[in-house]
Amino acid sequence: MLVLDLADEQGSFCSKLLADLGARVIKVEKPEGDPSRKTAPLPFSYRNTNKLSITLDPERREGRRIFRKLVKKADVLIETFQTGHLRKLRLSFGFLKRINPALIHVSITGFGQTGPRRHYRSCDTIASAFGGQMYVSGSPSGPPVKPFGQQSCYTVSLFGAVAIFLALRERRLTGKGRHIDLSAQEAVASTLDHVMVDYFYNKTITRRQGNVYGNKGFCILPCKDGFIQITILQNWETLLELMTSEEKAEDLLEEKWKQQSCREEHFDHIMEVVGHWTKNYTRAELFELGQAMRFPWAPIYSPEEVLNSPQLAARQFFGQTERPGKSSSNIFPGLPYKFSSFSPPPPKAAPSQGEHTRQILEELGVSSKRIEDLLKMKVI
Amino acid sequence: MDKPILGGIRVLDFTWILAGPYATRVLADFGAGVIKIQSKKTAQDVEQNNTGYFNTWNRNKRSVTLNLGHPEAREILLKLAAISDVVVESFSPRVMTNWGLTYDRLRKVKPDLVMASLSAMGQAEPWKDFVGYGATFHALSGLTSAMSCGLDVPICLGHAYGDTIVGLYAALAILAALEHRDKTGKGQYIDLSGYEAVCTLLGPALLEAAMEGEGKGGLSDMLIKEGQGGFEGCYRCLGDDRWCVIAIFNEEEWRAFCGVVDQPELEGEKFSTVVKRKENQSELDDVISRWTMSHTAERIVESLQKAGVPAGIVQNAKDLARDEQLAARRFFIPLEHPVLGKTISDRTPLAFGRQEIKDWKAGPLLGEDNDYVFSELLGLSEAEIRSYVEKGVVG
Repeated sequence: MLVLDLADEQGSFCSKLLADLGARVIKVEKPEGDPSRKTAPLPFSYRNTNKLSITLDPERREGRRIFRKLVKKADVLIETFQTGHLRKLRLSFGFLKRINPALIHVSITGFGQTGPRRHYRSCDTIASAFGGQMYVSGSPSGPPVKPFGQQSCYTVSLFGAVAIFLALRERRLTGKGRHIDLSAQEAVASTLDHVMVDYFYNKTITRRQGNVYGNKGFCILPCKDGFIQITILQNWETLLELMTSEEKAEDLLEEKWKQQSCREEHFDHIMEVVGHWTKNYTRAELFELGQAMRFPWAPIYSPEEVLNSPQLAARQFFGQTERPGKSSSNIFPGLPYKFSSFSPPPPKAAPSQGEHTRQILEELGVSSKRIEDLLKMKVI
Repeated sequence: MDKPILGGIRVLDFTWILAGPYATRVLADFGAGVIKIQSKKTAQDVEQNNTGYFNTWNRNKRSVTLNLGHPEAREILLKLAAISDVVVESFSPRVMTNWGLTYDRLRKVKPDLVMASLSAMGQAEPWKDFVGYGATFHALSGLTSAMSCGLDVPICLGHAYGDTIVGLYAALAILAALEHRDKTGKGQYIDLSGYEAVCTLLGPALLEAAMEGEGKGGLSDMLIKEGQGGFEGCYRCLGDDRWCVIAIFNEEEWRAFCGVVDQPELEGEKFSTVVKRKENQSELDDVISRWTMSHTAERIVESLQKAGVPAGIVQNAKDLARDEQLAARRFFIPLEHPVLGKTISDRTPLAFGRQEIKDWKAGPLLGEDNDYVFSELLGLSEAEIRSYVEKGVVG
């Protein structure tokens, strides 16, 4: 599979997912390079593993000619240009499919290519806000909080990768490619789990609940050395027994707490009392205790602690990238899946700017003389 | 296109709650014949067919009831597997093994079978038998910690984001495996870890944490780096719990912003460059808040966007249900359910055209497809099926 990647952070993870599964991905950067190389170097290196890089300016006439040669050979094109931009360059799907009718062209934008907000400026925060994700997280007395990292970009990229495989299968049946128009807002809204369900069926508007989640399903309580996320109401009897055996049940042994409705109504008090109990333990102790009883308890780990997870080590989740740099890490997060009859390529660091320009142009049959000319014209 | 993309692909679906069903729903939406293996015993709480939750994640699927504790039920299942393309399960690793329904066993009846096991930790010790859902992975992956930076008590992400991500990774892996099968004729066993799936969303933070010495900053530096050198903020607006977000990445956007807000304070020295705006962020936030609090989020975002400034409304569920952009793109689709009546769910961002959606149907009733599957697909006689029901094998 040959993928042309002209995407910014909204879509670079999408082609990474494919590159990590063995696709040949060519990142097409303008001659001055992808800006996030400088403004966000770690996210850039994370999202661009296993890719080749060519510097090419498709906004220049000579650059377009080369770009069209690339399109002719490509299976997939992923881009994140503002709606309408490619049409001005005569490089929108309508034009490209004449060069390559089998092309699968993925456009990722904040709101999609149609609709009243199609020209709205977007970024991860805006997609997260408009998509309904921010409203449901944060302290009840504080502002809405966005999840860490550019989650809307990862989400829409994952949908993109799924869409590409669907389109590939469709192409097997019909011989034709297609244009896939993805909205980051819709991607975020698709992950809201119970939020829209509760609204459509019960007219309930889910609000942020701080350290509580999922209709009091999970809550975060303090330990000796940090915090743990536990379940209380689902395993009430067992938990109460445990706390009672340690004489930490306090007033929860009173008759009224035997009623589920009472427990739900006065959940804050329950959390307070259980919090006194959890404070006597380390996170590791409660993690082990809870999981031994098959409760989905989990410590709140920092990213550093994640690196030391014995489970991730046993699964060899972290690999080493092939090209150790001076101020970049060798350790690299890997793929979350293992396949029985397929070996993904070993993780290769993100390419340097234009690292493969010459090689790829030569493959396209562009002469050395022409390459020099294009360099002088700053088309590549 | 007459035939849907995954038409002819049969999927045996042992998954439950959200993550697994999300994956199989993607497949079902595009025409795969997804058969949910349920039983009266297990169709409780969120797994009850006639609830909004179940109906949302299980549209376009079929339901049969089989009690897999019975050896005869497993025999039936093997017959089904022999005529299926994909098996998806999300049990703790012991379960399928205890039932003798491992990949090795299943591929004896269907050599090119694609089987996906979605577990919390992957099929490996030491945490193999651990229980986890999306929220669990938020905590373990560093996501909760990172988004709670600077707060006294960590905050939960208010939705099971991780579960949808696991579902998407599973759908991706299954589709990739089917593509591989088309090319090579080979099946595949996919071992997916929910924990790892969510960890992939923390990639840059993990890279940062792994760095030694130079260039390594704290988590808040990471937040700034991820924000790409501009500034962003969430500001209270007029009304009850109404907020907007404003994100400014360059000087052009800053000037446009100042033009709309029209407060002389903003034009001062203190806020004149990117660096200065960062240094005086909290003062800047105060000035901006004073403006936003006297306008509705809708008005603010409309006027800013018109001037070319990235801004957004922090929408709640009601806003989303009425969102004109989502309505124009027909993001929410109605499906008629025999018990629940008119139901609404989102179509996901994967809009390939109207043709797929016109054939969509609501989630199945419990065991609705027993006749179709046992009688039509497997050719069991009425007497055989009755006997199975009596023995409790089916039901």
